[in-house]
Amino acid sequence: MDPFSSEGELLNIHNAFHQGQFSTVVSTTPETFSPENQTTAKVLIYRARIAQGEAETVASELEGAEEPELKAVKAYAEYTVGNTNAAQEIEALVESSSDNVTVQLLGGIVLHLEGKSDEALALLSKHQGNLEAVALIVQIRLTQNRTDLATKEVQAAKKWANDSLLVNLAESWVGLRVGGEKYQQAYYVYEELAQQPTSSNARTLVGQAVTELHLGRYPEAESGLEQALEKNPADPEALANSIVLGILAGKSVEEQNVHASNLEKAAPSHPYLTDLAEKSELFDTAAARYTPKIGA
Amino acid sequence: MQSMLTKFESKSSRAKGIAFHPKRPWILVSLHSSTIQLWDYRMGTLIDRFEEHDGPVRGVDFHRTQPLFVSGGDDYKIKVWSYQTRRCLFTLNGHLDYVRTVFFHHELPWIVSSSDDQTIRIWNWQNRQLICTMTGHNHYTMCAQFHPKEDLIVSASLDQSVRVWDISGLRKKHSAPTAMTFEDQMARQNQQQADMFGNTDAVVKFVLEGHDRGVNWVSFHPTLPLIISAGDDRNVKLWRMSETKAWEVDTCRGHFQNVSACLFHPHQDLILSVGEDKTIRVWDLNKRTSVQSFKRENDRFWVIAAHPEINLFAAGHDNGVMVFKLERERPAYAIHQSQLFFVTKEKHIRMYDFTKGAESLSMVSLKKVGAPWVPPRTLSYNPAERAVLITSPADGGIYELIHLPKEPAGAVEPTDSKRGAGNSAVFVARNRFAVFTASTQTIDIKDLSNASTKSFKAPVPINEIYYGGVGQLLLCAPGAVILFDIQQRKTVAELPVAGVKYVVWSNDGLHAALLSKHNVTIVTKNLEQVSTLHETIRIKSATWDDAGVLLYSTLNHIKYTLLNGDNGIIRTLEETVYLTRVKGRTVSCLDRQAKPRNITIDPTEYRFKLALINKNYSEMLQIIKNSNLVGQSIISYLQKKGYPEIALQFVQDPATKFELALECGNLEVAVEMAKELDRAKLWTRLSEEALKQGNHQVVEMCYQKLRSFDKLSFLYLVTGDTDKLNRMAKIAAHRGDFTAQLTNSIYLGNIEQRIELLKELDLYPLAYVAAKAHGLTEECEAILEASGMTEEDMHIPDFGAPAQIAQPLVPTYEANLPLRTRTQTVFEKVLLGEVEGLSLEDNAAAANGLDAEEQAGANGLGDLEGEEEEEGGWDMGDDDLDLPEQADDFVNVGGDISGSSEPDLWARNSPLAADHVAAGSFDTAMQLLNRQIAAVNFEPLKPRFLEIYQASRTYIQASVGLPPLVNYVRRTVEETDPRRVLPIIPQDLEYIKTVELRKGFAAMKSNHLDECVQIFRGILHTLMLMAVSDQSEVEEAQRIISTATEYVLASSMELERRRLEEEDSESNVKRILELAAYFTKPTLERPHRQITLMNAMRLAVKYKNFNHASHFADRVLANSNAGPNAQKAQTIKSRCARSPTNTVDIDYDQHAEFDVCAASFTPIYAGQPFVQDPFTGAKYHPQYRGEICRISQVTEIGAPASGLRLVSS
Repeated sequence: MDPFSSEGELLNIHNAFHQGQFSTVVSTTPETFSPENQTTAKVLIYRARIAQGEAETVASELEGAEEPELKAVKAYAEYTVGNTNAAQEIEALVESSSDNVTVQLLGGIVLHLEGKSDEALALLSKHQGNLEAVALIVQIRLTQNRTDLATKEVQAAKKWANDSLLVNLAESWVGLRVGGEKYQQAYYVYEELAQQPTSSNARTLVGQAVTELHLGRYPEAESGLEQALEKNPADPEALANSIVLGILAGKSVEEQNVHASNLEKAAPSHPYLTDLAEKSELFDTAAARYTPKIGA
Repeated sequence: MQSMLTKFESKSSRAKGIAFHPKRPWILVSLHSSTIQLWDYRMGTLIDRFEEHDGPVRGVDFHRTQPLFVSGGDDYKIKVWSYQTRRCLFTLNGHLDYVRTVFFHHELPWIVSSSDDQTIRIWNWQNRQLICTMTGHNHYTMCAQFHPKEDLIVSASLDQSVRVWDISGLRKKHSAPTAMTFEDQMARQNQQQADMFGNTDAVVKFVLEGHDRGVNWVSFHPTLPLIISAGDDRNVKLWRMSETKAWEVDTCRGHFQNVSACLFHPHQDLILSVGEDKTIRVWDLNKRTSVQSFKRENDRFWVIAAHPEINLFAAGHDNGVMVFKLERERPAYAIHQSQLFFVTKEKHIRMYDFTKGAESLSMVSLKKVGAPWVPPRTLSYNPAERAVLITSPADGGIYELIHLPKEPAGAVEPTDSKRGAGNSAVFVARNRFAVFTASTQTIDIKDLSNASTKSFKAPVPINEIYYGGVGQLLLCAPGAVILFDIQQRKTVAELPVAGVKYVVWSNDGLHAALLSKHNVTIVTKNLEQVSTLHETIRIKSATWDDAGVLLYSTLNHIKYTLLNGDNGIIRTLEETVYLTRVKGRTVSCLDRQAKPRNITIDPTEYRFKLALINKNYSEMLQIIKNSNLVGQSIISYLQKKGYPEIALQFVQDPATKFELALECGNLEVAVEMAKELDRAKLWTRLSEEALKQGNHQVVEMCYQKLRSFDKLSFLYLVTGDTDKLNRMAKIAAHRGDFTAQLTNSIYLGNIEQRIELLKELDLYPLAYVAAKAHGLTEECEAILEASGMTEEDMHIPDFGAPAQIAQPLVPTYEANLPLRTRTQTVFEKVLLGEVEGLSLEDNAAAANGLDAEEQAGANGLGDLEGEEEEEGGWDMGDDDLDLPEQADDFVNVGGDISGSSEPDLWARNSPLAADHVAAGSFDTAMQLLNRQIAAVNFEPLKPRFLEIYQASRTYIQASVGLPPLVNYVRRTVEETDPRRVLPIIPQDLEYIKTVELRKGFAAMKSNHLDECVQIFRGILHTLMLMAVSDQSEVEEAQRIISTATEYVLASSMELERRRLEEEDSESNVKRILELAAYFTKPTLERPHRQITLMNAMRLAVKYKNFNHASHFADRVLANSNAGPNAQKAQTIKSRCARSPTNTVDIDYDQHAEFDVCAASFTPIYAGQPFVQDPFTGAKYHPQYRGEICRISQVTEIGAPASGLRLVSS
């Protein structure tokens, strides 16, 4: 039986991981799972810890691990803290055991982050019915602005894994790019997650709010973002989107500045900030081409 | 017969006759035991018993309008009763055997009776006479009824025949003409004589033969020419008649014993029959097939009756009566936002839009869902899939999943419906629904392809499932409600509430109302009880107001309850309705015919209570001021809740007002009311309260009113008011009240007066003692002398020094003693206007703002005309810039569309600078702006650039480990074609109009000119990068641009003038006056123009330029000739008329046409050369060509430009 299916024992931990409930994941004990699923569970727990910022501890814990899964996790942990050799390490792992799912996933992530998106896609496409790989492919396709290919990927996955969390999420990511009716569908997916007590967290609330923002429903989006910030005042996406919403809803500049400074504290390298700084510079260069004659 | 609903059952001996009251929830039952019972079937109570008949009573009938009923029994008697006086009014004797049925005529004062003496008789109950005896049947006549409209009677007899009788002759005879001629009288006499022999009053019209045994019952169809009869041959026969003949149509076969009675359904094409085989059977009138049948274990049925108005039936059997309905009348419906989806009586799904107030065409026909004659029970709606789930009780419970068409196109059969067995079915998620099967107590979770994904047993036996929030179900067990998590398959919470039938969620999903037959329980989404209330009448439906007030309907009322359980009646109902929504004063509902209706209500009471609970004083104030919220209920509510001071605001009745004023210690009001009423009792109570508060002035007044002199004196004593005490003494003397005089003299310490008084009363010993005690020896002797006694006669005990009367230390009478403080509640303060921000003035201000807005619109129109002219005169220059070409270039750049990012698409799809900014293509955006409006100085636009750029991107965390996914916000929300998507541009025209412009006007009005310049310049910058939808909006934007330009120019000039004034130099006077004069030139809103004119006038007067002052005064008057400004202008004008000269010569020609140069603030007279700014249209002297526009600070004066583009297509 597919361990991720709705009856499978890994479903809950898997869903919790992808809904961003890392503490739930970490608090599970891998020993409670049947032996064939224990490694997968462990990997998820390690990855949750990395996401919570414990990458260095994880890396040192996994020192000398033999299984390719754990080696991949260790290399990934090192990569996230900026260890330069880690990328090569992972690439080596990819060479040696490219049919291992964990290697595929983490390798795909690292390759994409390294700018080798095509290689990442090639690696990920080797997966044998792994939904996370599908989700990664979809996201990479979207960052490449190939919405058409992302749509195809989702459609294909729906045939064999209709209605699993990741497929639904991936479909909404695509939906947010396609627009029109898909906005509303994306909204329903996120709304369902955000309103369900077990999966309501900053991440899902932000998702709901963003879909509503795209639909032009600002007051609803606002309350969603407020709720998200209540759950996690330092959620970078909640902060970044709050600024966007503030502009659209005509809020005072001060409010946005508060969010912006919070965002700078929470995630100084958030794409919102880097992008904005870049654009500000671009503006200055572009404006400098004109030579206004200022009168007395 | 699963859908028959029993509403009432009684236990008694055999019931032979039944009659519904046409209006009240009453039913008369005549019993085999000689008793007639009157039941209230709604409350289930026996109202009365009538026992005068001897032996079984077989027939009863209510009169339609009078408080009467008639009965007939085996004692051969027909009795007419009054149920008001509860006695038999009279008895009609004449039948010679058992009376079987009795019925009133629907309009004439007649009763028809059938009897075992083989006759049918008609009686006039007004003169209590037998007016007709109809013979012809040759066995017992078992039943005889009037036709509901025509002059016909139908009868059934054990002679196996049914007869139809024409009684038009009888009617003619008894409708007495007003003036009877002799001939008429003769004719009538003759006719009557004919009666004796030929019986022309009632003649047999048709004899219907077909039953093989005796016929027990017969009745007419209410509207069609049909007759239904029931006989001992176990058949129910349908007959049709025309003017001339009647014939048998068909037979309904199925009863396996004698059929006792039958009737037509009053509203539907159905026949109902009851028989000794213990069944009630329902037949299809058109097909004559059995629709439903209901069997009773032990009781044979004897009679059936239908309610004339509402959908109720009653059947009498061996052990009593049952009142029942054939089907639920509650229409199946579901509400999603402003849409109501419901199933009509024709079994079509329709949608009703609350906001539009319009009903759609039928979307889908449910004809094939469930069985015919069985209406669907529930409807659950899924907006994500636009699908509905219908449940029907047919076949032991079924559900059907149907996708609704996008556009309603009529009652089509659903194409891709999925179905299955189940008793209730609800959507629990976007793509999941739950189905509950009662027989197995299982709940299945199914996906939209109807495949079961999960299946589990209910934790306890339950009746029904409801949506319980995302991923949860509410399970209604007989004694409790359970909140159940589907994922984890466990009970989250349980609340012991019995018999919950319906669950209604609030609009925000935080609360739910659990409706039982007689209880409403409000719970939170976590199933914690908030409040509960009990109703004696059945609760039918409920809906939530946006503010969290639950409105619910009972059989005959709409009521409300607040979350805290405070409840009340909103209005009574003529007929039962099912509430669907409440918005403002309108309650939307479905009636029992499943038609959407709107009912107007007065929500004041519950809004007020809600405001009270939320301490929303401004709202309360609004309600008090704007609506007549009176009535005892609200007053007692406020009193009960401890707000007598608020109740005081509503009361007009002085007595109540007095009580409330006392309760909240409001003496002023109490005094006022007491004065109005002027009753001793009230003054006493007021004096007590005033005394407690230490307000002795009021106490004094009360005592004066009460004429209680003793108390007054004492009051003056304790407050130390000696003057008044003296006056009291005089009054006492005047009244001849010696006791009072003595008391006063003691209070005053006036010994002489006391002795005088005692002497006067011949109490010499006392007078002597008093004198002696105070050492007044002369007086003592005088007393002895006067009384003729000696000192020896006096036996004076030994006493010490005479007591000195204490003198008041503080003259407390001058001020009140604050004994009990009375604090003003917030509310009272609000009423007194002491709390800021809550006064009604605010609204007035807002209203004014609105006026200004309207004016702006009107003026703007004027501006437009001028503007267009100017544009016509504007030389476009030699550079022929063709922008569309430019746009085409862009389109050609990319080539393959997929693979290019959304921002690239935006830039490609649009020739608007704003869209290029959103795309992040600042270069091209600047190019565009440069060509369109000659923008050169971009620095001021930087915030707007970045704002637009930022507003068009959102971020979601997607895969774990990857950076967030960027999404692009569009203004074309509906669009999916990549060639037409466009970015959102924040702060649209509407925002500028409603927010920014108003802010600017406010700044102008409040004389914050710096701010004013900033705001209007900001508006100009915003409009440079803007996207609007059509040409009319472009024009509007142009109008706003010119308005903003005028305001910036005006404000800048005035600022310059003030700067000069600051310098306070004599040489500046000329310039100051000029600037003041030019300040009046820009086209401003009328009230603002008035400001500029008044300003110019004031300065002209100040510097003695009377000629100009007079000119400005004229313009003030022309602008607005009323108000204080106009008066002032009048005065100045007349004063200036005396010396119409100017002291300072300034460059201002009031008669010449000129514009003001926006850079130098000097006039540009008509005909003089000038250059214009391509964006703002501001005019400049030619030497400023090439400089930055002073107004916009972005664009280049006099530069060639193609004009701003704001529409993309």
